[in-house]
Amino acid sequence: MRYQVSHITRYSYEAPVSSCHSELRLAPRVTPHQKVWRRSVSVRPKPERIDEREDYFGNIVHRFALFDSHSSLEVHSESIVEVQARPLPLPRSTASWEQVRDAVRAARSGSLFEAIEFTGESPFAVGAVEIELYARDSLAPGRSLLDAVLELNARIHRDFKYKPSSTTIDTTPSEVFKTRRGVCQDFAHLMIAMLRPVGIPVRYVSGYLRSGASYTGAEASHAWVSVFVPEAGWVDLDPTNNVVPEQGHVTVAWGRDYGDVTPVKGVTLGGGEQKIDVEVRVIPATS
Amino acid sequence: MPGGWLEPPGRRRRRRRAFSGPAGTIGWHNGCRILSFWMARRIRQAATAEQRRDSPEAQDPYVAPAGHYDEFLAAPGIPRRHWRKLTATMSRLGAERFGRRWQQALQLIQANGISYNVYGDPQGSGRPWPLDPIPLVIPAEEWNSIESAVAQRAHVLNAVLNDFLGEQQLLKQSGFPPDLVFRNPAFFRPFHRLPAPGGSEGSGPRLIHYAADLARSPDGRWWVIADRAQAPSGPGYALENRLVSAQMLPEAFQAARVRRLARYFQSYREGLLSLARTGRDQPRVVLLTPGPFNETYFEHAYLAKYLGFPLVEGGDLSVRDNRVYLKTLSGLSRVDVILRRQDDTFCDPLELRGDSLLGVPGLVGAIRAGEVAVANGLGSGMLESPANMAFLPAYCRELTGGGLALPSLATWWCGQDEARRYVLNNLKHLVIKPAFPRIGQSPVFGAALSADERAKLALAIERRPEDYVGQETMALSSAPAWNGHGVEARHVVLRVFAAWSGSNYEVMPGGLTRVAGSGDSLVVNMQRGGGSKDTWILSDHDEEPIPLMPSTPQKVNTSRGADLPSRVADNLYWLGRYMERVETDARLARALMPALSGECDLGGAIAVEAAVQLMAAYGHLPKELGDTHPLEQRRWLEKALAAMLFEGNRPGGLLWTAKQISRLGWQLRERLSTDTSRLLGRLEKEFQRNRKPPSGRLMAEMPELDHAVQTLSAFNGMAMENMTRGYSWRFLDIGRRLERASQTASLLRHGIAAGPAGPYLETLLQVADSTMTYRSRYYTAMQTDLVLDLLLNDEANPRSIAFQLETLAGHWKRLPEREARERYPVDARTIWELLTSVRMAPVEQLSEDSPEAREELNELLTGIEDKLTVLSDTLAVKYLSHAALAGRLGAV
Repeated sequence: MRYQVSHITRYSYEAPVSSCHSELRLAPRVTPHQKVWRRSVSVRPKPERIDEREDYFGNIVHRFALFDSHSSLEVHSESIVEVQARPLPLPRSTASWEQVRDAVRAARSGSLFEAIEFTGESPFAVGAVEIELYARDSLAPGRSLLDAVLELNARIHRDFKYKPSSTTIDTTPSEVFKTRRGVCQDFAHLMIAMLRPVGIPVRYVSGYLRSGASYTGAEASHAWVSVFVPEAGWVDLDPTNNVVPEQGHVTVAWGRDYGDVTPVKGVTLGGGEQKIDVEVRVIPATS
Repeated sequence: MPGGWLEPPGRRRRRRRAFSGPAGTIGWHNGCRILSFWMARRIRQAATAEQRRDSPEAQDPYVAPAGHYDEFLAAPGIPRRHWRKLTATMSRLGAERFGRRWQQALQLIQANGISYNVYGDPQGSGRPWPLDPIPLVIPAEEWNSIESAVAQRAHVLNAVLNDFLGEQQLLKQSGFPPDLVFRNPAFFRPFHRLPAPGGSEGSGPRLIHYAADLARSPDGRWWVIADRAQAPSGPGYALENRLVSAQMLPEAFQAARVRRLARYFQSYREGLLSLARTGRDQPRVVLLTPGPFNETYFEHAYLAKYLGFPLVEGGDLSVRDNRVYLKTLSGLSRVDVILRRQDDTFCDPLELRGDSLLGVPGLVGAIRAGEVAVANGLGSGMLESPANMAFLPAYCRELTGGGLALPSLATWWCGQDEARRYVLNNLKHLVIKPAFPRIGQSPVFGAALSADERAKLALAIERRPEDYVGQETMALSSAPAWNGHGVEARHVVLRVFAAWSGSNYEVMPGGLTRVAGSGDSLVVNMQRGGGSKDTWILSDHDEEPIPLMPSTPQKVNTSRGADLPSRVADNLYWLGRYMERVETDARLARALMPALSGECDLGGAIAVEAAVQLMAAYGHLPKELGDTHPLEQRRWLEKALAAMLFEGNRPGGLLWTAKQISRLGWQLRERLSTDTSRLLGRLEKEFQRNRKPPSGRLMAEMPELDHAVQTLSAFNGMAMENMTRGYSWRFLDIGRRLERASQTASLLRHGIAAGPAGPYLETLLQVADSTMTYRSRYYTAMQTDLVLDLLLNDEANPRSIAFQLETLAGHWKRLPEREARERYPVDARTIWELLTSVRMAPVEQLSEDSPEAREELNELLTGIEDKLTVLSDTLAVKYLSHAALAGRLGAV
C-alpha cells in the first residue's frame, strides 16, 4: 500500500523567540516492511541549514537552529511511503515467553543482543507492581509469547478507555492504570511497563494511521509497540485499536519510549506561552 | 577531663614528671594550662587499660580509637616517624599558640570567601569552608604506590568507558552483564559513539579528571571506597587548603619537605589545552558551572581564576553551526574546550535531560561534530555506579591482564545469582546501595536495621535484584584533628586526584582529606558537617620550588574586559537599578514617616494630607482619601508605608527589591569584593530582621531605614572607590544612572506635575537627597522653580536628571562596538534627545501654578520616563539579549 504522508506542526508564541534549537524525528524510516520513496522536511522561518543524521536507534533525525527573532514556527514533513503486509507465525507455534526471556538474557550478539536494550525500565515507561500483576494473568507458565501478547493487546483495548486530552506527556503508566483511560502513547507505555519487568523485549513505535479509516487515533501522530518474537522478528501490536498493524500503519521511528522518538523537540529563548496546531494526512497514493 | 596534644614521646614523658599536679590542672610544658576538651565517649572507652592507669582523668595525650588504624600513633604513645617534623612544630607552639595561629588562618578563610554550599540549608548558600588545621601526613614510599595505583585505575576506568560508549566488547566478547550499560540511568543514548575529548572517535582519553576516595583498613592497607568520574570536585579546595596550611605552619611545612602542588596544576591546565581539536592558535578553555547554587560553586570560581579560564554558565554559551561560542559584550567568541563541572546529563537540554533547562542547547551536536571538546567526556557518570565497582577488578584483568594495584571495597551486584545469594545471607554485615544511584537514594547499613526492616529490604532486593549492590563496610582510620582546644582522633577519608596531562595521568601529590564531623561519627561527608584537611605528602628528595601562585598574570586581558559574559553584565546592570530603587523607596518612606507623628509644623515634617496625596500619586493609596478626616488618613498612610516596607513578596516592594539585590549579589560574588557582597547580604537581613510592627509603632522603624540608606551609600562608595573602570563597573553604573533618572522624573511628576507643589517641595528634596544643596545654594524658602531646576537640569547636582543623562552619554560612548549585522543599533541619539529636552526645558514657565504648566511638565517627564524605558530595552537587546527565559517546544 502506498501513502502520501503530510505532517504539519505549527507553534505560535505569545512573545518573540530570539533563538530556537530543534530536533525532529519526523521522517519515516526504512524497515523490512516499509519502503520510503521520497521524503522531505521543511521549516519556516527558514533556517540556514538542516542537518540530517541517524540516531542511536537508527531513526532519521533532522536538526536546525534559528537565531533571528520569530513569533511562529512551522515544521512540515512530507513523504511517500509503501507499506507491505507482513506474515505472522501461528500465535501458538512460537517459543514460550520464558524461553524468549532466557534467550535474550544470555545473548551476546546479533538481534537477540540488540533486544536487551528493550528489556530495561526507561524514563517514560516506569513499571509498578499492580501493572505486573495485571499482566501476569496473560503470562501463564509456558505460554507462547505471541499468544500472550496478543491477549494483552486485546485486554488493554477492552479495559482502558481512549479519551483524548485526558492525559499529558508526563502521565505515568501507574496513573493510566488507575484511571483506566488515556491516549495511544499511554497505552503503548502501559504495555511496555507490563512486559519489560518479566524480561520481554518491547519497544515504542511512533508513526501514523491511514486517514479516514475506522481506527482510533488517526489524523495525528500515533504510537504503538513492537515485541521481539524470535521466530518473526519484531512484531507490532497496537493496543489502542487491538490490531496487529499491517498496511494501515506508517512507521516513523522507534526507541525505548516516547522520550527517544519525540517527533518535535526544541529549546527556545523567550516565547512565553505557545499554541500548537497539528495536521496529519495519510492518504493512499497512486503508484 | 582529658586534654590532648601531639608531642614526641620523649617530651611527653618529661612533662609528666614535671607537672604531676592535681587532677585537671596539669599544665602545658611551658606552664600554660591545658585547655580541656570534649572527647567522644567511644574514643575514651577505647583507650587501653594501660593508658587509663597511666593518666588519671587528667590530661592525656592524643588517644587513638581501638579497632581502627591510626594515622598518627603506631602504638599508644608512640607516634609514627613521618609525623616527626609536624609534631615537633606543634609541640613547640603549644596548644594556645597553635590556637591563635588557627584563628588568624580562619580569618584568611573568611577573607578569601572560601565556602561550600549545603543543600537545603536554611541559612542559604555559602557556609564557610570547614577546614581542619592539622594536615594528614603520608610518607614518600607509601605515596609512591598510591600514586601509581590511582593512575592505573584512571587508565582502566577510561578504557571501560571507551568500550561502553563504543564497541561494547566487554559485554559481547568478555561476557560482562549488559545490564551494567543498558540499565544504567546515566547511559543516555546520545552519548554512544560521541568522539572522545582527547582524540578521535573511540580512542583517546574520555576520562580527563578522576578522583578516588581512599580509606585505610585496620591492617593498614588502603582501599578505594568510591570512584569520582563525573566532574570530580576538590582539587580547588585542596589548593586553597594548602595555601592556608603552608601559611599557618611554615616551619613544619619547610622542614618536612612537603611535595608541592603547582606542577600538578600546570599539567591540569596543559592537559585541557591539549584537548583543543580546532587547531586554533590560542584555544579558549572555559569552566562551565551550574551556577552559584551548586554546592561547590566557590571551587568553580576559584579554579577558574587560578587556571585563567573564564567561569561560565550554560546561558553564556551558544551553539551555532555546531560551534560553541561565549556570548560577550563584544559579540560571540569561539570556545574550544569546556571543563564541565556540571553533570553530563544536564549539559544539553535538547538531547539529554528533558526535564531541565540547564546546560547548552545543541552542545551534544557540537561534540559530535568534533568542534568542541568537553572534559570529562559525556557519559563518564556511568563509571560512578556502585554496580561497576563490583566488576572493576574483573575489567582490569580483562583489559590489562593484571590486577588492580589498589583494591576496591568488596562489592556484590545482586543482578548475578551467586552474588545476590551472598548479599541476602549477609545483609547484617553489609551496606546496601542502589546499583545505579538516582538523586535522593542513600545507602542502608544492614546492621542498623531491625529484623523486620531487613526482611523488607530482602524482599525489595528479590523483586529487582539488578537495582542493588551489597558492599563491605570498613572501619575507617583515624587521624588527629583540632577540636577548638586540643586534638582528638577523627575518622578520615582521602580523595586523590588524577588529571590527563596530554600524554599520561598525573596524580596530585596531595589531596583532599575529609574528616568526620565529630569524634564518634563514622560518616565522612561534607554535606553532613564534616571538614577537610590538607594532605602532606613527604618527599624523599628536595624539590625545586615552583610558586603555587603564578608570579605574573597567566593571561593578560588585552580586550580590557570586552569578553565579559553578557549574563554578568546583565546582573550588574540590574544590581545597579535595584540598588537605586531601594534607596529611593527607603528615602521616600523615611521622608513621609514623620507625617505619622502629626507634628507637621515641627522641623518641616510633611503634613499628613500632603503625604497621603503623594502616596496616592504613586498609586500606593486611593485618591479619594484626600477628602477624609486626617485621623483616617493617618491610619491609611501608616498602612501603606508598612506595606511598602514589610510585604516582601510584592514585586516592587522594598523587601522584594532587597531580596533581588541579595540574589544578584550572590550570583555576582566572584566579581565583587568580599566586603561588597557581605554588604549586599546585610541589606536583605536588615529588612527581614524586623517583623511588621504593631499598628501605631511604625515610627520605631526609622533607625532601620537609616541603616538601609547607610548600607546603600556604603556600597555605592565601595563601587566608586574599588571597582576598576571596566565594563563591570560601567554596567553597574548605567543601571544606577538610568534608574535614578527615571525615579527622579517620576518623583517630580507625582510631586510637582500632579497638583500644587507647595507642600511637597521639602519632601522632594529629601527623597532626592538634595536638601543641603538647596539650602546652601539658595538660602531661601522653598520655591517650585528652584527645586525643579535643581532636580531636573542642574548638571552640577549629582542627583539631577541632567547629571544622570550626561553620565549615561559618557558610558554609551565607551561600550564595545558590535558587528555591523546587528539589527538593533543602539540609539545613542535617544540619550542626546533626552539631554537636549532637559537642557531646553523652560523651568520658570513649567513651574507656574497653573493646570497648563503642570500639563506641559507632565508631558515632559512622561516623555523622559518612556525614553528611558526604550533605552533600557535597547541596551538589553544589544548586549544582554540572552537574559530571556528559556522554554521548550510543547509536545503534541
